[in-house]
Amino acid sequence: MSSVKLEVQWSPIHSNKFITWGTEICLYEVAQIKDTVRPSCIKISDSTIAHLLATNTSHHYVKCIDIYPQPEPDILLAVGQANGKVVLTTFGPTAFDSLGLTGKELAPKHARQCNAVAWNPVDPNLIVCGLDKYRTDHSVLLWDVLKSPFDIERIHHHSTSQSDSVRPISESGISETAHSLAWFNNEPRCLVVGINNKHLKIIDFRDAVKVVNATPTKAVYSLSVDPHNDYHLVSHIENQITIWDTRYFEKPVLTLPQSRPVTKVLWCPTRHNLLGSLQKDSGALHLHDVQHCGIGGGGEDTEPGALERTVIPPWSSPASFSWHPIHVNRLLGISQQGLTDYTVFERITVNWATRSYLAWNHASKSIKYICSNDNIYKSLDDISVLTKSRANAEYGLLPELSQNGDLAENETLKNLWQWLYLSRSLVDDDTIQSPENKHPGVRMVLKLDGQQNSTNSFIKSELVHRPWTDIGSNHTAKIYRSSDRDKALQLCGWRFDKETNALYNHLFLERLEREGAYPRAAAISVFNLGLRQAIEILNRGASKMSLATNLNIVAMALSGFSEDRNSMWRELCLKSRSQLSDPYLRATFAFLTADNDSYENVLNENGMAVEDRVAFALMFLSDNKLHEYLKKLTQKLSEEGNLAGFLLTGASIEGVQLLNRYLEITGDVQSCSLIAIRALPPKLLQENQVQVWIDSYRALLDAWKMWNQRAHFDIAMRTSTNEKPPQQVYISCNFCGKSISAYMQGLSRARGPFGRLGGTSNKLKMSSCPSCRKPLPRCAICLMHMGTVSGLQTSTSNTNRSEEDNKLTEFSSWFTWCQTCRHGGHANHITNWFRHHSECPVTTCRCRCSSLDASFKAGSLLQII
Amino acid sequence: MFEAHSINAEHKDLIHDIAYDFYGQRMATCSSDQFVKVWDEDEHGNWHLTASWKVHSGSVWKVTWAHPEFGQVLATCSFDRTAAVWEEIVGEGSGPGERGMRHWVRRTNLVDSRTSVTDVKFAPKTLGLLLATCSADGVIRIYEAPDVMNLSQWTLQHDISCKLPCSCLTWNPSLSRLHPPMLAVGSDDSNTSNGGKVFIYEYSENSRRWTKTETLSNVVDPVHDIAFAPNLGRSFHTLAIATKDVRIITLKPVQDSAQSGLSRFEITTAKFEDHYCTVWRVCWNIMGTILASSGDDGCVRLWKDNYINNWKCVAVLKGDGTSAQSTETPLTTTPPNHPTGVQQPLSTTRNVTIATVTAEKPTAPIMSTSKWQAPVTKGRFSKSVWLGNPAEPSPLPPPILDRPKSKK
Repeated sequence: MSSVKLEVQWSPIHSNKFITWGTEICLYEVAQIKDTVRPSCIKISDSTIAHLLATNTSHHYVKCIDIYPQPEPDILLAVGQANGKVVLTTFGPTAFDSLGLTGKELAPKHARQCNAVAWNPVDPNLIVCGLDKYRTDHSVLLWDVLKSPFDIERIHHHSTSQSDSVRPISESGISETAHSLAWFNNEPRCLVVGINNKHLKIIDFRDAVKVVNATPTKAVYSLSVDPHNDYHLVSHIENQITIWDTRYFEKPVLTLPQSRPVTKVLWCPTRHNLLGSLQKDSGALHLHDVQHCGIGGGGEDTEPGALERTVIPPWSSPASFSWHPIHVNRLLGISQQGLTDYTVFERITVNWATRSYLAWNHASKSIKYICSNDNIYKSLDDISVLTKSRANAEYGLLPELSQNGDLAENETLKNLWQWLYLSRSLVDDDTIQSPENKHPGVRMVLKLDGQQNSTNSFIKSELVHRPWTDIGSNHTAKIYRSSDRDKALQLCGWRFDKETNALYNHLFLERLEREGAYPRAAAISVFNLGLRQAIEILNRGASKMSLATNLNIVAMALSGFSEDRNSMWRELCLKSRSQLSDPYLRATFAFLTADNDSYENVLNENGMAVEDRVAFALMFLSDNKLHEYLKKLTQKLSEEGNLAGFLLTGASIEGVQLLNRYLEITGDVQSCSLIAIRALPPKLLQENQVQVWIDSYRALLDAWKMWNQRAHFDIAMRTSTNEKPPQQVYISCNFCGKSISAYMQGLSRARGPFGRLGGTSNKLKMSSCPSCRKPLPRCAICLMHMGTVSGLQTSTSNTNRSEEDNKLTEFSSWFTWCQTCRHGGHANHITNWFRHHSECPVTTCRCRCSSLDASFKAGSLLQII
Repeated sequence: MFEAHSINAEHKDLIHDIAYDFYGQRMATCSSDQFVKVWDEDEHGNWHLTASWKVHSGSVWKVTWAHPEFGQVLATCSFDRTAAVWEEIVGEGSGPGERGMRHWVRRTNLVDSRTSVTDVKFAPKTLGLLLATCSADGVIRIYEAPDVMNLSQWTLQHDISCKLPCSCLTWNPSLSRLHPPMLAVGSDDSNTSNGGKVFIYEYSENSRRWTKTETLSNVVDPVHDIAFAPNLGRSFHTLAIATKDVRIITLKPVQDSAQSGLSRFEITTAKFEDHYCTVWRVCWNIMGTILASSGDDGCVRLWKDNYINNWKCVAVLKGDGTSAQSTETPLTTTPPNHPTGVQQPLSTTRNVTIATVTAEKPTAPIMSTSKWQAPVTKGRFSKSVWLGNPAEPSPLPPPILDRPKSKK
């Protein structure tokens, strides 16, 4: 033999034992892996090892083996050999020895290869073997290992040669070759045999041996019976796996063509209708989930199919495998390289609920899920959880714009809301004239974009040379001024005291200091030519902050400022500037050492807040350069979706694009839609883009059942457009068709004939149509006419008079009715009724009104269960 | 140690699909045991089985909920070649004070397919009550209930043949008026020489027809699941594909594609092989920011976009729910039961945009010192194609990320 065929088989009765055979038969025990792996153990997976218990080398030319399937503590093997003998053997001394089973040989009359051996699954003594052809001899032999016809008396006399004389109790298959065979599980005397490369035969040993069924096919190898369904068989030949149903045995119910020759196919004992197969020269395990289909559905029989699946266990060129008899989807593979213990994972389906539940199945047994309260989910940092909690906190709907930013608990959003607040207040107090847009951006204020004739409106800036007064130098800095620039500076938060030399607002700097932003305060001081003040700020900062920031060293360096182009101070500053970790300090020195009014190092200092960079540009850049810089910066920030860019764009179409970019990056549709409804002018609100945000956010609120938030959102949206939503519900008289509610509204304004009644504590009672005097319908519960104050109303207290006066009736006595049967009544009566009933309160009506309403479900569910 | 919550499913065979309703408070499961089970959550967060019935005479592949606006409606599809629409109604049981039992009735059985119906999905509700099915014979069918109050009547509106056996479909959920109704279909055809396995169909209001506008030719392996991300107003569509790896594909509509005659979309692909072998399912969270995928490694993996198209694995959940890992950095685990214990190189930031049509010539890696990871072609990318207009200039490396530091 060129190569030894390797085989592996789990013991059908011991869940932790298996045998392998090739040149010798080995028995292994599987154990969980421990820290120390003994040398006698083989690692067969990441978590299991196989411990070699015994080896049996006394049998050569093993062709096939079956393990005795009865629940005994020891393992008894039936070994089919190349000479046709079936030998019973064990590993070491066992209880079988006393029964005379060990070493027993079941030999055919004529020696030829044994192809298959199988213990009967029910009768413990029966074993069948399938042999090659020999002239007119039988090839399927049934033996009784305990009671052979001749055994009893011969045992005593010829104990050495007794095995020769054992005769099979039944024989079948004259002049035929049995390639493979399998017992049926529920019919203990029936088996199916693959014969002569051309037939499958079902043989019944019960009476006279006879073939009860046969079908012509070449697929005669690896024949086996589905452990879950005795009707289903599988066999294979070359590239084909065929599945048979013994009830329609004429042709296979399913043929599965494979791309390579099949070497092994086995039913999975733990899953219904699942086959595993190996193919030649392929490392994959092929799984065939056979789909049967009953009658029905389409009305006719549907052909079965198979769901094919390939898994690649961590093995190389497996020779054979064996399913574990009990453990679900576990199998053991064997190859020249070793053994592999592997469990096939079932397909997992996974789904995500709108409420941030993530569920998946664990095989067929259970559904696993995680939800937003679990730590594992929290660590995902899911924006939808954040969105939901912000929505719960009324984020974006608080009247004061800046408060919304505090709720967001996010620096960028906080800054944006704060800026919205700032820009609105500037517009409101007429510092900036912008009648249509409450939130103009810097570019808008400077009139940089827009009309073609923008040159006209763009105000030319004047150049001011301002001296560095507080260091006693007569050196001057070039500063550009114009009224538009001043306004824009205010948008940046740099509030100016217009004419004094201390151009900036001390309050602003004090606030920065309070917040610990000393470098920033210092930088802004320097940009406003307040060098001395900057040094003071830094010194104050140094006393408060940790040493690591070295603020007083910086202050020292700053004090050496020299305007001389060639001074050593300048040279050193240029060198060591890049080593400063704080962007504001870097920018400060960049400003002080700048050449020829080129402030690139300040303007491109990305660590600086955008508003500070823009403000700096507004002071020190000429009109052309400013224009160029702002254009570039806007473009860059828009591309990045950086909300700080909203300062430049303002509530414009570019602002919308910026927000959309931000949305694409973060998914924060909530902030986008809320900023839209709070800040965008009505015209921009109609943009398709913006409408999609709003629709998406409303759909989110709907999915979370946050109806109140959704309503508040809608109200806020309406207020920004200034258009009143039309009344959506009208009550008209059944008889004359005239609107009743219109009349009622008139009453509430205390005019008309009933005006004097409006103010009394007894609410208005009106039970008939005001125009035709016909009565209004009655409430199905209290049988009072609608419009009447009835039932549970408590005496109106005077405390809430102002609110109550506007309403004609309490919510509880409003009209309500079923959309299907049109019966109804007072809202609270109806609600009460459906708390205990599912049918309509009207006697003859069988409408199940409440159950038709999906949103009513939640409460009613419990009572069903 | 983390343990996921568990519900005893009581299905007798493999569960193929789990579907949540619009509010996430009802759940439907379907299985090879031919049953659908409906679960409801009570106010304490416990899930109760409220209905279980035999829906088909073969394995039930998919189950899906209609928008609650149309009632409590489910659709199922099965190996038995049919798809069905089910409605929950309240029974006729009467008696004072007794609430009728709810039960599910079959409203229609869609029997047009001659082979196994592999997926069924309701359209976004803005399109009306539409139902799309696809089947193993490669036909996509779109049904409409013209009267939303009558769920027994469905008319077959469109019958689109896509030649390859279909395994999954997804509607584009975009609410934008500018996006025509769009469907993506995947095929599990195992022959890689048959070309692309994902097809995009769009509905043209003018011709009143669905036409194939795109074939993703770089997905040639069998596709098992496909899902459009919720759009929320993004200017591009994101499509997750479960094939032998996880693909996240963005489709950015190209303006004026009619003239150029080229692709309708600028397509970017990201690809992750962490599942080692087959990927079975993909699904998105409600805002389309995190993707969940399941695969043959027996794990559910979660993917998150850190910056534009910079997807990373953020968590791995084991199928049995007994333990789970969450990590900032990509996990380095060995394949399950790998005997040699060799660590495979694992995916990190792996999005590639290659500005050429020929995928074989990736651009040279651009190294960047900034936080942003420049597009780098790494070993485990076998292919990544940018199918946009080749005449367009290469996209510039995205700008250096600068967020203002906290001003404290």
